[in-house]
Amino acid sequence: MAALLEMRAIAKYYGPVRANDGIDLDVRAGEIVGLLGENGSGKSTLMKVLFGIVPPDSGGIVFRGRELSGHRPREAMGAGIAMIHQHFMLIDAMTVLENVMLGWAEAGKVLRRGLIAQRVHEVSRRLGLDLDPHARVADLPLGRRQRIEILKAVLRNAELLILDEPTSNLAPGEVHDLLTILSRLRSEGRGIVFITHKLPEVLDVCDSVVVLRAGKASPKASVVGVSKSQLAEMMVGRDVAAPHILKKIDNQPLRLEARALTGAGLGPLDLELRGGEILGIAGVDGNGQFELAETLSGLRPAVSGSLRLDGRDIVRMSSARRTRVGLAYMPADRSATALVKSMSIAENLMLRDSRRRPYCRNGLLDQGATVEKANSLMAQFDIRARSADTKAGSLSGGNQQKIVIARELDRAPAVLVAHQPTWGLDPGATRFVLERIVALRDGGAAIVYISSELEEILAISDRIAVLSAGRFAGLVKREAVEKAQLGLWMSGRTA
Amino acid sequence: MNEMQPNTIGTPVRFPFRLRTDGILARILWAIGLSIVCAAGLIALADKNPLVAFSAMLAGAFGSAHQIGVALNKASPYLFAGSGLAICFRAGVINMGSDGQIAFGGIGAMATIMAWPGEPGLAAVIVALLAAAFCGGLWAGLATAIHLGRGVNEVLVTLLLNFVALLFVQLVLSGVLGQTGAGFLQSPLVPRTAWLWRVPLFDFHIGIAVAALGAGLLSFILWKTPFGFAVRVAGRSRLATAYAGFSLAGITWGVMLSAGALAGLAGGTEVLGLHHRLIEGFSSGFGFKAVTVALFGALEPAAVIPAAIFIGLLETGALSMQRQIGVPSALVVVIEAMTMLFILIATVRRS
Repeated sequence: MAALLEMRAIAKYYGPVRANDGIDLDVRAGEIVGLLGENGSGKSTLMKVLFGIVPPDSGGIVFRGRELSGHRPREAMGAGIAMIHQHFMLIDAMTVLENVMLGWAEAGKVLRRGLIAQRVHEVSRRLGLDLDPHARVADLPLGRRQRIEILKAVLRNAELLILDEPTSNLAPGEVHDLLTILSRLRSEGRGIVFITHKLPEVLDVCDSVVVLRAGKASPKASVVGVSKSQLAEMMVGRDVAAPHILKKIDNQPLRLEARALTGAGLGPLDLELRGGEILGIAGVDGNGQFELAETLSGLRPAVSGSLRLDGRDIVRMSSARRTRVGLAYMPADRSATALVKSMSIAENLMLRDSRRRPYCRNGLLDQGATVEKANSLMAQFDIRARSADTKAGSLSGGNQQKIVIARELDRAPAVLVAHQPTWGLDPGATRFVLERIVALRDGGAAIVYISSELEEILAISDRIAVLSAGRFAGLVKREAVEKAQLGLWMSGRTA
Repeated sequence: MNEMQPNTIGTPVRFPFRLRTDGILARILWAIGLSIVCAAGLIALADKNPLVAFSAMLAGAFGSAHQIGVALNKASPYLFAGSGLAICFRAGVINMGSDGQIAFGGIGAMATIMAWPGEPGLAAVIVALLAAAFCGGLWAGLATAIHLGRGVNEVLVTLLLNFVALLFVQLVLSGVLGQTGAGFLQSPLVPRTAWLWRVPLFDFHIGIAVAALGAGLLSFILWKTPFGFAVRVAGRSRLATAYAGFSLAGITWGVMLSAGALAGLAGGTEVLGLHHRLIEGFSSGFGFKAVTVALFGALEPAAVIPAAIFIGLLETGALSMQRQIGVPSALVVVIEAMTMLFILIATVRRS
């Protein structure tokens, strides 16, 4: 079969971060290539480069025998590449037909509704899409909406379809239908790049697989004869790094205890955490991490179950009261939740403590004490800025996160819930944040460390739990970790 | 490389404006200069001499102590309502209900005076003003209850309740509070003993002083108290508000009731200090002038005081221009609006 796409030695750097570090990717006509990788492994960047959303720093792309460089999404689409995003680009209030015609020159200056409707019918029947051109998008289930995107791509003569985690929003039956549709597209000679975390799907439908890790790609391997555990190993890597934490802390009291904790999209979860312990929560994003973090911190109500902090039931407490009794929280979303970017460093440091000393005295804010406190925290946590008056939003991600960690740790919490605390940070800032969290652990606090970066979880956790579909798929001591097992738990099925 | 973070979407910055403080005076002068040029063009189109018109305007605004007093009386309700709106906007609560809250304040004050046993004196005035604040707060509270309880957008609730309030004024004026045989919907005159004190020579009532005090108090609350801090956080990020442990409902109640009480005082002081009676439609249009004034106040609370006084002066001058040389009244409104627009453009920027 003819080569459809050749990407050669694609490199893209964001500052010190090597998002793509010399990646090759080949797709032939009539081939489905599975693109696997953890979060941050460089999949999205690679696809953005292909689609012309970001230019590569080096490397070349040849598509259908023609060099593609310096292109923008419009040219990529014109050449026959279609991207189907995780979140559909459809207008809910319009019909299928109208969405198909939107922004499509062939629909005509005066819209040729009849003709296009006929073509929609035709393609829909050929591929088994089962789409009524006159149905309103808002009335369709997610699986159907995705087919509209596929329909649009096919009508626009796309030869290469890129599907970015196409099954993450679908019900199991819909997934099966989608995979059937993909096989039909393949038999028409189109190429497909199928980005996913889920190993069973790769085995079901892909012809070959490329695994990205830390910006590098594995050689393309045929799926035939590969087992799930081999794939999982490829995905998370074989070299299990030695645990960084050597000092064991024993005989600590129970600090956090959840029993059948249940919330929307979460649980029931059981959890026991002692002082001096870091529980790493691994898993593919969107499997209940955010819900877990918010339920523990009190920003989202639990439906049932109990949650005890140092023996005290906090499940009905507001987030403010949980903060007072010793629960600290570092949210994943720095830009709008953990920080108010248009406010100063000093104001952000007092964000959750504004009614307490030293920030507040006799019911009034104490400006002098606030600045003094801010200066001392800035020195202690190495927050680099001109002054405490500097707006938080003007700082680098690392310095922003230092504000959050300074605020949360200064209260000497009993329990810290940290959600993706190193997300988007450079290696230096990452190390700083991890060191502080380990120091807190050594001081006797319990830490729930939620991250989709497996390496990091392995580096600092005492125990590791894997969250899948809102529940713990498995729980293991750090010493007993087998990466392949973790990969299987993460992929949503037990072996 | 950054994978999309789920669940972090939908975090609107609620009040995305800031005051451009660099060279602000020069830019305000520019804005006023531009609006003078445009106004001159419009006046010339209306076949009047712009120079004559402007001198009439200046004389109208600053010509005598009395004229300045008139301007301050005009500024008073704008300052009351505007400073309340400013703190609402700061919290990201878009309150458009000043008109109705002012109307209810007027009803509260007038009803108190009419129900007062015997000759109303200073005590009656104080109680009437408290009643005005209470009624304004009540009307704002109703809007807040609907907004928070049923999840209806606050702009819609406050705006629509204005119409209800205006009709309510008509209702009470044609009934319990009405003056029989007046031929116009109005209440009987407030007895002279219950009129607000007026400053001699300038002849403005002390409403503006109370309003300035209120604005100062709100500014203090905003910058110096934990509640004010919560308000400022709420106006910037709803997610951060929840994370910080502030109750959004509590903040909304706080700012809405403050704004309602201040708007109620605006109505009460209009009745007791200016008209000396409750008149149908006495509050119409105040709310929107208050929004203009509040836009400055939301950026910097202290700015609401000069902004309100500026509008007062502009209106008095423009009205006098209309009387003196007979430019159409619509033109006066256009000039007013244009001036405010230029100043907003010159001083406000999206952040």
